[in-house]
Amino acid sequence: MSMKSSWSIVLATLAMAGVIHIITVLVLPTFAPQNAATRLLALTETNKMLVLPAATPAHQSLPLMAPDIRYAVCRFDLRNGPVRLSTAIEEDLWVIAFYTLSGVNFYTISGGDLKRDKIDFIIAPQAEAAVEVGASILDEIEDVVVISSPEQQGIAVVRAPLPGPSYAQRTELVLSRSSCTHDISGIDRIRQ
Amino acid sequence: MFVTALALGLGSGWYLIEQGSSLTTARIGPWSVWLAAGRPGADPYTVAHVARSGRLPITSTNAMYFFARTDSEGEQLLANCEYAISGPRLEVTWWSLAVYDLAGRLISNKAERYSFSKTDALSATDGSYRIVLSRTARAGNWLPTGEAKRLQLVLRVYGPHPWTDSSGATDASALLPEIRKLRCQ
Repeated sequence: MSMKSSWSIVLATLAMAGVIHIITVLVLPTFAPQNAATRLLALTETNKMLVLPAATPAHQSLPLMAPDIRYAVCRFDLRNGPVRLSTAIEEDLWVIAFYTLSGVNFYTISGGDLKRDKIDFIIAPQAEAAVEVGASILDEIEDVVVISSPEQQGIAVVRAPLPGPSYAQRTELVLSRSSCTHDISGIDRIRQ
Repeated sequence: MFVTALALGLGSGWYLIEQGSSLTTARIGPWSVWLAAGRPGADPYTVAHVARSGRLPITSTNAMYFFARTDSEGEQLLANCEYAISGPRLEVTWWSLAVYDLAGRLISNKAERYSFSKTDALSATDGSYRIVLSRTARAGNWLPTGEAKRLQLVLRVYGPHPWTDSSGATDASALLPEIRKLRCQ
């Protein structure tokens, strides 16, 4: 085989490898069977709050879950209208984060930032005309924060880090009272 | 030829998604952090890494996740060895250091202790802390390694911190704990 043709084989192989590389990286997120949304889909109903069981060696709802954080999750679907998420905030440490199904964290707020012990979020689809990238607080009236979601479906996670193991039970109880629902009566007057 | 290309393409893709590169991750001593994890508009390697990990990370503005699979000397963390993890006071809202096996599972132990946090680790008067990874009970902050083989540590840091700027996590070097091997069985 001539020098020239063996070089062209090397180059063609590298080019093909490059294409395969790019396809792998771009396609993987779509087909990752074990991404967080897929795992949560198996556990939760849409527009319902679920307190994930504490991570233990025997069971973890998501990989690498923190053993000293309690999580409440809501898989929201806005196709039938906005969704309301209500939770108490026991500690400044608590963090409420909103994600798209592919895991983009488009909005996060901590208990320390909220400075109140109870909060309602209205999650609404991002207005067509909205120029903001991701989400922003469109309106903030009293204890209601409006979150504009870039996609119709997503995941909200309330994280409650435990100041110590003895806080676990109480924290789980408080989280179990949080809710996620289509019913936004009583606070829908603040919209529009 | 096709097989070679397939191996190279998949292999390099897998490597950059699992291990990261200087474009996606910062390495600070034994610690590595995916800088854009969870961020809108993150690069495709980070997006793929997050999807594969099955995690839902908070963006680095509000929380950071540092991973270590080696000690400060660069040697693999093994459950049959004993390590001292020591760091200075961390001026953050909260931090937590947890130990897992390489599959990301918590390690079963009689003490049911899987992590130490800012709020429950014993610390010195200057706020510095020392956590000992060991199979057998140790005084102070003892993090048991049970019957696991290789270990990985995850340091979660919540709240505004001194290294949130988009340029990377290089400022963290003085703040992240050192992982020193004490002995092996």
